[in-house]
Amino acid sequence: MRGARVTIAGNADEFKQSFREEAREILVDLESALLELNENRGDQELVGRVFRALHTIKGSGSMFGFEDLATFTHNLENAFDEVRNGRLQVGSELIDLTLSALDQIRAMLEEREGAAEGEACAEILAKVRKLTGVAEHRPAASKVPKTLAASVGGRARQWIIHFAPGPDLLLNGANPLLLFAELRELGGLSVKASMEMIPPLAELDPERCYVSWEMVLATTAGREAIRDVFIFVEDSCQLAIEPASGSEVEDGQSRDAVARGLEESRAPSGGRRTYDKPDNASSIRVPAAKLDQFVDLVGELVTVQARLAELSTRRDDPEIAEVSEEIERLTSALRENSMNIRMTPIRGTFEKFRRLVHDLARDLGKDVELTMDGADTELDKTVIDQLGDPLMHLIRNSMDHGIGSPEVRIARGKRPTATVHLSARHSGASVLIGVSDDGNGIDSEAVRERAIERGLISVDAQLSEAETFALIFQPGFSTAKQVTDVSGRGVGMDVVRQRVESLRGTIDVASKPGSGTSVTLRLPLTLAIIDGLLVSVADACFVLPLASTLECIELTSADIERASGKHVANVRGTIVPYIRLREHFNVHGKRPELEQIMVVETGEGPFGFVVDQVLGDCQTVIKSLGRVYRHVQAVSGATILGDGRVALILDPERLVQDALRTQSQNQAARASPRGIRNGGVAVPNATLH
Amino acid sequence: MGISIKESDVGNLLALEGTIDIGCAAELKAVLLRALGSGGEIRVMLGEVAYMDVTAAQLLWAAELQARRSGVVFQISGPLPELVSTLLTEAGFPSLAASLSVE
Repeated sequence: MRGARVTIAGNADEFKQSFREEAREILVDLESALLELNENRGDQELVGRVFRALHTIKGSGSMFGFEDLATFTHNLENAFDEVRNGRLQVGSELIDLTLSALDQIRAMLEEREGAAEGEACAEILAKVRKLTGVAEHRPAASKVPKTLAASVGGRARQWIIHFAPGPDLLLNGANPLLLFAELRELGGLSVKASMEMIPPLAELDPERCYVSWEMVLATTAGREAIRDVFIFVEDSCQLAIEPASGSEVEDGQSRDAVARGLEESRAPSGGRRTYDKPDNASSIRVPAAKLDQFVDLVGELVTVQARLAELSTRRDDPEIAEVSEEIERLTSALRENSMNIRMTPIRGTFEKFRRLVHDLARDLGKDVELTMDGADTELDKTVIDQLGDPLMHLIRNSMDHGIGSPEVRIARGKRPTATVHLSARHSGASVLIGVSDDGNGIDSEAVRERAIERGLISVDAQLSEAETFALIFQPGFSTAKQVTDVSGRGVGMDVVRQRVESLRGTIDVASKPGSGTSVTLRLPLTLAIIDGLLVSVADACFVLPLASTLECIELTSADIERASGKHVANVRGTIVPYIRLREHFNVHGKRPELEQIMVVETGEGPFGFVVDQVLGDCQTVIKSLGRVYRHVQAVSGATILGDGRVALILDPERLVQDALRTQSQNQAARASPRGIRNGGVAVPNATLH
Repeated sequence: MGISIKESDVGNLLALEGTIDIGCAAELKAVLLRALGSGGEIRVMLGEVAYMDVTAAQLLWAAELQARRSGVVFQISGPLPELVSTLLTEAGFPSLAASLSVE
């Protein structure tokens, strides 16, 4: 007798993770819907949206083993069912309670210790029950019909349900047995499986579902309540819910409610479930790490392609050249495609701030509405991921310092409700993210006084308005007379500056006293690959971002003499200061007779970078320099060239600021009291020596 | 979770235990095919099964049908746990529960 034993590995963790990701998306939508509902309390479509989102979280939570989460959410779902049926009014208490509950659900999703049993959880449930006058209801444990959640009154009627799941139902982590259990909560259920589609064993794909079901459900619930049970799988199945013949609407059943249910079932998908994917077959969920890995591989391919191009040039073989050009074309297309895959609309990030604005307005006693445009603007996921903190600090600062109380606003002739506006739009290879308000504006005199107090500028420093506003991003800078829970410690704006700089972006501030402030972040569309210009200084190679390069001009000995040795060039009548990279990076070797100036657009206007040679354009995969060099400001990364050499990718903006700072410090050392002592704010019209 | 198969001169004894779901469906199919391929009678022990999902029901149904068509005995040996019986019934597979007649 022989024996064999097989150990089976489950994939529950994978499904759980998938549920978490989906639930987080639903929560973002749910939060938006709640805040919109707060503004439009009679909007039944919004009520339906909230209800269905809660229902989905509950149903799928239960399916994936988040029983506590399902039970908790079920109580909230009941409350919104009461609203749906006109038995409960939407008020601030319900909205705030539900928002708090969302935070709790988030904690449960992370399976934080004690999240399900915590006092906050119990308190929320108690308040929900008090509000609805309904006792706690546990969906999984209960065997009684779910009359509270689904009933529209009257006696039970019979429904015939045909449920034919898609073949991937089980692979997607759904379990029909749990759906049937949920249907049983609505009433008496008889189920008959149809096995006709099951193929012979040898041909059977063991992970696919071949079974369909016919069910008869006796319930007081309406069609919509039954349909809601299938909400999580409806997109990938055939579902028909029809009243059994001869089963009429019973006495006492609200015809209006049935009509509403039918109406909802006919509503367009946008009104029905906004978080549903438009077409499951045309979109798939891919973990971000896999996407990063894919882009990394494309990056490696770009590097190898550059090597092949280099080899092809050296060999001078037409056949290799042809293959090389073909690969270059394909690599370029692949690179563009991989970048597009990473592009994500900024809407999700913007929507998250509805809650922040709602909560802050309540805490600060202000009336603020959040408006937005350009939320569908797409940018690299990595950039989006890092935008949350800067935007949060800008909004907090705006609401705490920029916007006054309704009374103050009325006294100043403004409407009591203030506006914080978020915007996004593309501008060349950059994206512009704006945060503006219609508050008090920045008091530039107060900023200046505070900067002098802190020793950031000298008393007689001559600063433009932009330079003055730039001071608010200095570490520890604050004009707030008192520190509040929201802001005033001078940390937030510094975080904004640091994060934007780490993204190779710039900040522009515009403000008008009494009218408001507008902060614009200019960020690159992507952080992974850039189009660059390859230049050389002696044996060293550098890459300058093509997007910011204006032109290339020659620099002769005669030009240098005409400028009396000063580092400026006359470009068609415009004086353009320049930095000689050879000197800046201390590159040894003799300067060539004829040098090249790469003129680059920077925040300080056109600026030149003098190099020995311009080698040509290149697709550049940005490699991080690593922790050791993280404080090197003027270099945003490195790339590997076709011949295996490493070229530093320069950040023109930082390079200029670095040079100006050095110049400013040198000037200060020569005992001049003018200018800025610290902080890297540019000195206008600077000339470097 | 596990599946073991013991082959003897008179047939195959398949012992399933724990959770039999999509995570082990491919293994179960392979085990059933191997047992059917041997030509001997097949006895399936479900006594230690704690949970069974649709994939398991489909596979057992397909295996039982193939065995019947081939004239091979395919039987549940030992008691069918109440939970499994309830699951099969609640999922609308009573005929499967009946066809897997307990010896």
